[in-house]
Amino acid sequence: MRVGLLPTEGKSTYRFMVLFLATIGILISSLPVIVVTIMSFSGSDNTGFPPPELSLRWYWDVVAMFTQEDANSAQSVVDSTVTSLLVAFIVMVISTMVCIPLAYALARGDRRIREGMELLFTLPLVFPLVILGIAFLLIAESLRLDIGIWRIVIPHVALVLPFVLRNCIGAMNGISVETEEAAISLGASPLRAIWDVVIPLMRAGILAGLIFALIISFNEFTITFFMYTIDVSTLPIWMYSRTVSSLDPSTLALSVFIIVADIVLIVLVDKLIAGRANLF
Amino acid sequence: MSISLSRPRALAFSLPAIIAILPFMGACFYIFRFSISAEKGVIDGYSIQAYIDLMTPFFGRSVWLTLKLAFVATVIAMMLAVPLAFLLTSLKSPLARRCLTVTILLPLILNLLVQAYGWILLLGPSGVLNSTLKALGIIERPIFLLFNETGVLLGLIQTSLPLAVFPIVSSVRGLSQEHLEAASSLGASHWRTFVDVTVPLLRPGLVGAASIVFAFNASAFAIPLLLGGRRVQMMGVAIRDMISPLFNWSGAAAAGMILITLTLIVLVFSSWLVRVTSEKVRG
Repeated sequence: MRVGLLPTEGKSTYRFMVLFLATIGILISSLPVIVVTIMSFSGSDNTGFPPPELSLRWYWDVVAMFTQEDANSAQSVVDSTVTSLLVAFIVMVISTMVCIPLAYALARGDRRIREGMELLFTLPLVFPLVILGIAFLLIAESLRLDIGIWRIVIPHVALVLPFVLRNCIGAMNGISVETEEAAISLGASPLRAIWDVVIPLMRAGILAGLIFALIISFNEFTITFFMYTIDVSTLPIWMYSRTVSSLDPSTLALSVFIIVADIVLIVLVDKLIAGRANLF
Repeated sequence: MSISLSRPRALAFSLPAIIAILPFMGACFYIFRFSISAEKGVIDGYSIQAYIDLMTPFFGRSVWLTLKLAFVATVIAMMLAVPLAFLLTSLKSPLARRCLTVTILLPLILNLLVQAYGWILLLGPSGVLNSTLKALGIIERPIFLLFNETGVLLGLIQTSLPLAVFPIVSSVRGLSQEHLEAASSLGASHWRTFVDVTVPLLRPGLVGAASIVFAFNASAFAIPLLLGGRRVQMMGVAIRDMISPLFNWSGAAAAGMILITLTLIVLVFSSWLVRVTSEKVRG
């Protein structure tokens, strides 16, 4: 007999409470996103609920924002989106390139070093973002370097390292030393064994890490809020500056695009690691 | 023959990642150095003036508010996260499990602005909640849930919930089936099993999850900024205000150090708590 944490039969108060609280949790998690999605289809100019009629006009507005030149805004939405994507892409490539060799070294190396390094690379996860943002801003201001897009890329890399490394280490855990030894005994050099045997086996974890880095960087708001300049600004900052006084429905339509992209990517990560590792 | 990683090669493999995290470590050191600078705008000399200047009722209220909101949000998030973890681990269909995973994980990843828009639309004066209550005739005038502590609290619970659920899910997976079966076969009710068996077994995971959630909530910035307005001055927002209108860099650095210290104390205390209680369970 298997005893579940969630009893399947009967009308016990225990089962009711578990399901009741879980439902509240699901509602709190999902309601904001659902409401944004519903209101983006509203046909009216304000964001009153319920929407008097449904329409796609705000989606056409978003398309127009991207296709027509907007003369009266300092930073166009196209520029911010391009910057956001470029930053996310560079962050994704750098963080994965540095984490693959590190994950290999940690998996095959000394156990004590491994624990210390894992702790070090978890720190950005618990470090207050607002302070990190201020610290990076202070450094950038005092060095007075004009490093363009890198003033956002460098903090983002630090931010996504914990997620990428966890995925890479998770991928390494499943690869036995014997596979590598087999390749070497067949005449491959140790580096070639890593390149041709280990890395292909790590593929799912590496891909999951890549996607994680991409979505976290693309959605990052707090650090970028401190680091952006007039020339280098990302999509979340553009949305913030647009809605700081009032919320207009075209931003909601733009949000829905972001929500859909995020959901697709999360499902992809979930499929890739398929219960083999923890999400974070 | 075995593959032993030589020291130089291990170092060469680790070096790129260490270079990548170096700016982060530099930033941590820099903020500390700035907080003990004698000048407000540049690093020069040593002084603890910035810390002394923070001993004001205003900053004290901000610290108290931060701890209070973070604590309440953590308690509620944990109360919701445990049932969610039970539900997630007992779902049979892979599709349902995937849907629930995405629903819970999305708030951690999704642009915080989008989620703030959602709360504004839900809780605003002409938002979903107020319109519904008005239509049902329960209220006459809109109730204000936005730009006060309630709105911030809801936002904090939502964004920190994933950080609570997933660690609990991994501890639930590691729960030994025998203990639950034993309790059940000895006639314990579900509640009794939960209180006397499940919770004690899960305790390390619960405390670990709660401490991360607390640290995350205490240092929240975007949610109090967007949902709290000027009225809910949590430390993150207060620190920003020191920089943006006031240009008090060393003060902001000192306030940041206090915030880091507070979260570190919670993290260290909770890991100590886990060690002590797990020894007691084993002993």
